Order: sequence, then C-alpha cells, then structure tokens
Amino acid sequence: MQLHPRPTGGEPTPWAFPRPERSGLPNGITVLRSHRPGQRLIAVEVNLTAPLAAEPKGQEGVATIMARALNEGTDKHSAEEFAAELERYGATLDAHADHPGLRVSLEVPASRLGKALDLLADALRAPAFAESEIERLVRNRLDEIPHELANPARRAAMALYASLFPAEARISRPRQGTAETVARIDATSVRAFYEAHIRPSAATVVVVGDFTGIDLDAELGRTLGAWTGKASEPFAWTPVTADDTGRVIIVDRPGSVQTQLLIGRTGPDRHDPVHPARRLGVYCLGGTITSRLDRVLREEKGYTYGIRAFSQVLLSRADGTGLSLLGIRGSVATEVTGPALADLWTVLRDLADGGLTDEERDSAAQYLVGVAPLSFETASAVAGTLADQVEEELPDDYQATLYARLAETGAVEATAAVVRAFPADRLVTVLVGDAEQIAGPVRELGIGEVTVLGG
Amino acid sequence: MGHTAIPQDSVGGLSATEHRLDNGLRVVLSEDHLTPVAAVCLWYDVGSRHEVPGRTGLAHLFEHLMFQGSEQVEGNGHFELVQGAGGSLNGTTSFERTNYFETMPAHQVELALWLEADRMGTLLSALDEKSLENQRDVVKNERRQRYDNVPYGTAFERLTAKVHPEGHPYHHVPIGSMADLDAASLEDAHEFFRTYYAPNNAVLAVVGDIDPERVLAWVEKYFGSIPSHEGKRPPRDGSLPDVIGEELREVIEEDVPARALMAAYRLPHDGTREGDAADLALTVLGGGDSSRLHNRLVRRDRTAVTAGFGLLRLAGAPSMGWLDVKTSGDATVPEIETAVDEELARFAAEGPTPEEMERAQAQLEREWLDRLATVGGRADELCRFAVLFGDPQLALTAVRRIMEVTPEEVRAVAAARLRPDNRAVLVYEPTEPTEDADAEATEGTDIIDAEGADQ
Repeated sequence: MQLHPRPTGGEPTPWAFPRPERSGLPNGITVLRSHRPGQRLIAVEVNLTAPLAAEPKGQEGVATIMARALNEGTDKHSAEEFAAELERYGATLDAHADHPGLRVSLEVPASRLGKALDLLADALRAPAFAESEIERLVRNRLDEIPHELANPARRAAMALYASLFPAEARISRPRQGTAETVARIDATSVRAFYEAHIRPSAATVVVVGDFTGIDLDAELGRTLGAWTGKASEPFAWTPVTADDTGRVIIVDRPGSVQTQLLIGRTGPDRHDPVHPARRLGVYCLGGTITSRLDRVLREEKGYTYGIRAFSQVLLSRADGTGLSLLGIRGSVATEVTGPALADLWTVLRDLADGGLTDEERDSAAQYLVGVAPLSFETASAVAGTLADQVEEELPDDYQATLYARLAETGAVEATAAVVRAFPADRLVTVLVGDAEQIAGPVRELGIGEVTVLGG
Repeated sequence: MGHTAIPQDSVGGLSATEHRLDNGLRVVLSEDHLTPVAAVCLWYDVGSRHEVPGRTGLAHLFEHLMFQGSEQVEGNGHFELVQGAGGSLNGTTSFERTNYFETMPAHQVELALWLEADRMGTLLSALDEKSLENQRDVVKNERRQRYDNVPYGTAFERLTAKVHPEGHPYHHVPIGSMADLDAASLEDAHEFFRTYYAPNNAVLAVVGDIDPERVLAWVEKYFGSIPSHEGKRPPRDGSLPDVIGEELREVIEEDVPARALMAAYRLPHDGTREGDAADLALTVLGGGDSSRLHNRLVRRDRTAVTAGFGLLRLAGAPSMGWLDVKTSGDATVPEIETAVDEELARFAAEGPTPEEMERAQAQLEREWLDRLATVGGRADELCRFAVLFGDPQLALTAVRRIMEVTPEEVRAVAAARLRPDNRAVLVYEPTEPTEDADAEATEGTDIIDAEGADQ
C-alpha cells in the first residue's frame, strides 16, 4: 500500500460545557436546566440532602430501602402498576442513597416527559411504603449481601473502608447496610427517615435535553411544584479522618486464580485547588493502557488485564471538610501477586524520584481537555455532572472552568499532586486472594504489616 | 403498529450514504452537526465463529495484537495518538465480527482514518513474538477476571457450549480456552491477518460532525491502495434445527453465594421479524420490573432475588434467549422452575396483553434511542446492519420494525421456542451454606473503566 505521513488535524471547533439556567419553584425546589438540541431522551436528576450519616444507628441501610421503595407504589398506583406505568412511557427511574444524600434519576423520551414527571412527583410526594413491599425489599436486600461478599471487587472495597475509617464513622461501613442492620428495617423506620429528610426544600432538580415544544416551567409546576413540605434544617456534618498508615489486609480466598487489589487512602475533595493537578497526575499514573502502571504491569509484564488509579469524591463540603478516596485497583494473576506489587511500588517510587515528563503531561492534558465534547454527548451525562456539582456544593460553572485549569497545569504541579496523593509509605493495601500463596511474597515487600482475614 | 415516542418516518432525521472503494471497502457516512465530535467505526467480518478447532480465542487475541503497532505506528501508538488527540477508542470481538472504533473531536477524524488504514495495510510488518507473548498473558488475565474468578462466571460459556453442539462454530465463546490461548503461535496470527483482514472484508462507518466529501477523499487516500484479496474462508455452517429437541441439563456444585437457575433457549435469527417478536416476548416475560417473571418470582412468590430474560441476537446461528434467576432465602430450584414453566406455558397460550405489548415496545424503543444517542452508537449500528445483513439503512428503520410486530406473532414465537425441549439448563447449588454474571458476548481490548470503588 502507499504510505502517507500522519495527518496533523484541523481547526478545533470551540466547545464549552453547558452553563445551566438556575431557577426555583414556589415550594422551595431548586431547578437547573440545560436545553440540548437533538437530545430526545430527556434526563432528570433529583438531589436530596439525606446523608447516610443521618441513618439511625442500628438501622443502617434504611436510606437504601427508602430509595428503592420510592419505585414501589404511591397514593395513585400499586407497586406493580407503578412499574408498568413507567415502562409504558419508555421511562427508567432509579433511586439510590449515598453518603451525601439521595439521588433519583429519570430518563424518558421527550414526548412523554410530562407523564414521567407525574410519576416522579408522585414517588417523591406520596410514596406508599406498604408494609408488605418494605418487607420484600428488606428480604431482597438481605439476599443481595452474600452476592456482594462473593464479588472480589466489592469485598475489597468493604475491607478497605473498614480499615481506613474509624469504627464510629458511618463511612466505615457498607452504604447499603449489613445483614444485621438491614434485618431491623421495617415500614415504620422507612417512613420515619422519609419524613425527616425528603422534602421539597431539600431538593434540587436538574433537567437536560431537547425542550423544543415543551413548556418546562408549566410541566415542573404542575408536577414537582405541587409537592409540599416543611422547610428542612441544615444537616450537621462531622468531618471524617482516615488512618493511612502503610499496611496490608489480605481477605483469604483459597483457590482464587487472581488477586483482586485495591490500594487506597484519602485526600481532599474537589474544592481544593490541587484538584486539576491531581486529576492530571492520577491520569498519568493509571488512567489508561499507556499510563505508567499499565505500561509496566500490563504491556510489559502481562500480569493483568488492567490496573487503574482514580480519585473518587466521597463527601464534599463548601467549607473544604470533605474527602476523596484515592485508589489503585485491578486484578493480577495469583502466582505473580508479589512481583506485580513490587513493580507497582517501583512505579510509585520512580514517579516520586523522577517526576512526570512534559510529554506525559501534554498528552494527558490534551486527552482530558479534548475528550470533553465526547463525554457530554448525551443528556444524561450532562445532567449527572450538573447534579454531582450540586451534591458536592461546587459552583454551577465548575466543570466549565475545570478545562481551562487543566490546560494551565504544568508537569511539576501534576507530579507534586500525584506524589502527594500516593506516597509509597502511606497506602492501605487490600488483597482478595489465596492467602497461602500470596501472603509470603507480600510480606517480603515491606509495604506494611500484613493481616489475614477470613473470606 | 404500537405507540411511538418519535415520528417514525424521519427516524429523528438520521440518514446515511453508502460508498465502495475499488478494493471493495464499503463506506457508510452519516452527518450530524449537533456536537463537534465524530465516530470512526470499522467492522471486520470475522469473529470467533471463524476459528478452527484447537485455536479458540484467536480472533480476540488477534484483536489485541491490532493495538501493538504497525508500519508507521510504534508500539502502543494507536492508544497514545488517539487519546493525545482527545479521542477515545477500543476494539471488541464477538461470535460474528470484530470491531474497532474511535470517537474523536471532529477536527481529528483524519487521524483515526490514517491509523485504521495503517494497521489494515501493514500490521504484519510490526507484529512480533514479544507482542504476542505479552498480549497472550493479558488475555489470559482478562479471562480470569471476567470468567474464572467470578461467581457463576463460566455459566455463559457452559450454556453456549450446550446450545451449540460440539464442532458447531458457536460452540465456544470468543474468549477461548486457556489451552488454546497457550497454543496460538505467531504464524497463526499472521495467517489470521492474511485470511480475514482485507478491505473487501470490512465496513467503515464515519458518523457525526463531518464533511462527507472530505471524509470520502481521506478514505480514498488512506485505504484506497490497500490491496483486496479473496483469501477469506467462510465460517463453518451454523445452521441448526429451530428446536433442540430435548432439555439439556447440568447441575453445578460450586462455591457460589446462592442457588441459581439459568437457561439458554434457541430463538430465531437476528434480522428476521420472528427475531424481533422474540425480543418482545422476552421483554414482556423478563425484561424489567413489570415483567411477568419479576412480578411472579420476585414480587409475589418471593422465591427469587432477581429474575429476568436477556436476548443475545445472532445472525449466523439461532439467537440465544437467556434466563437468569437467583434464589431468595431457602427457595429451591424446582419450585422456581415450576413457576417459570407455568408462566411460559400461560404466555404461549394467551400471548401478551395490549398493555404488555405497549410497554415492551416502549422499552425497546427507548433502548434504541439510547444506542443512537451517540455518534459511536450510531456508527456501530450502521456497521452491524451492513456487515450482517448487507444494508446499513436497515439500522435507521429497526425501531419501526419492532413496532410493526403483532401480539399474535409474539405469542407464536413463544409457543414455538420457549419450551422445555428447546433449552439448556444450568442449576447452581452452593457447596457451602452461605454478582450477577451477565451474559457477555464480547471481549474487548481495554478494560471498561468504571470510576471508583464502592463497597
């Protein structure tokens, strides 16, 4: 074939993350909207301040059961009818409870937005919480727990949170409760949690999509605007600390053909000015196949299908008292667990010693900035990010200005941020795997005291 | 015809044009200027069904090798260059095809075309033993991570092998066996490329913010001089009787968290009206929270924690209907199986209600809107219909065809196919008292990068 030189690319078309329009409904609901021409699947996200830390001790998981019960019948429809109505309009409605609060996500074709908003408003305003439905959801949740314990990645996360955070902190325990606490939940406790936290003044609604031909104010006013409730008290947050003394926890799985690894500690949330530099640095460490970790562990050694480094906001407060989980995760073949971890630590130490090159920094910045229009093609991606910003108490233009800040960040700042995020001697390592085979080699690495837990 | 959320005549204004180079490369272009992004998608008409005995997994292993460099692209340059330009990329292998795709900022489309042409024309000049040895280990770890180290992880592989008899081209799943992966040689990889990788065995789709004339000129420039050849060997005959003729059954005693009933049914081929009717039947029976199996097993009998049907559409062999039920508490498999068979028999006799038809059609329509909401999703569907059915335009009318299916056709396909003598059954019994394994028909090059680590 005839070879040609590599093309250089044309002129980029300017693109900016959409700036939402902010308004309010008379009942106290905050509304953010963004009209996205051509997006005929409309995404609606509702944020409610109902933190897991507000769950009564001994009933952890009640926020999750309540979230699921929103989908299980209202004052107008039984549980089965409600599910049928949603599906009739081609809509999906999911609710889940996380540390900052409750998130309800609706997706529906634009022509059926009004019908779906009716159902969403009913679910928030007048959930049935029928005793028999709650009983079923509790049983269902109890049935799920053994499946989660059996999943190596989930099991690793449980062990990490339990080790990283003090036992009295809610965040140290599973978001959806344990078998012991879930078993205590009934319709009365679900309704009590709902009464205490779910009210219009605690709600922000984000709507994104093609609004052509839709009177959004009228639709929102008729549906969510009809919800009434008392004003809510601001929740008193307690800052959480984490112990990142270097150590290793092995969750024993005799016969595992792979070792699931999750290495972590905590750092500040996205209010910290370090965030853009950390994002860039963490990407260079483990964002893709060509990042430092996979370059060695996957593409040179073949130890893994992929290792990723990440930062994930756990709690975020405008006053800067929030925190992010900084982690490295993946799985490696059992017999190379020791050598793989040795290489991983070498990558971290080399990064601290030599820093990122300008080429690495440039290529990461070009990716993280350039990929933005691709990441936000759909209404649900835009709505999810706007709702995250609200949940994290970030300004509405956070994502829009993040790209400029990423583009300004140099290799020196990115190196400092990622090295501070992953200091080689301050990392908690969780390994889910065959202890008999991996404990010995891991002890020899000197990455901290090794504790073995039963599976 | 069912109710629709969007006008069916315009299919949302989507259209596509078709072109063919002298060397046989088929090209499909579709313009959409809403967002400054464009997708390049290349389907090769080769999948695991083309593999020969003793070399299962070769098509997928080969797909990994396509990312190891070519004449003008060094090492991991494919990833580096695309991501450095702000694009995202991957490749996947299924029974029937291998696809490679890049989504790019619109001004970088030419780069993606240059890269795809370079490896289509010159891969073998860069392919060496070192890359093969490395990617063999990576793929074996992919297999461990997705199949061998996951509860119920090999269910899909086991059922696939039962539904398709020994020697059938679909008897084995694309990931292949460890022994065959070990046996693959550099000469096998060379021969595979020379046999199946040619412009006349591929379809290229470019979708998004493009100038079709310019794109066509680039395609001609970069791909036009790659020689075609007729070396391709057709896959072995995949035809099978519509119905298996007996129930094939296996009981697995394994360390899994709960009892499970899984089954695979032979269903009509993809691309037929009966195939769409089967999709609707499975949706009514097990496609969501208002489906018959969910209502019966999860809501009423409360014997299951999850219960549902999925469809794996196949064009060159019967499609597979996929039943997955995980038990709740002490429920036993026989009581669940009796309930499933009652529901299937009732459905075969009575067919769907008008409300069920409306819901199933609305759900499938929304799934289509989802798939078509991104340029990458649209490019993939255009390639799919071009490669498997010879006409990319069929992608734009797929929703309409689903809407035209009648309730009687849905009933008829259930009566003919969803019978005990047309299924392979897998029963899991935990070995000790104590994550759902979804049917995955494709293997990829890069891991799907879910954010974070939740407990």
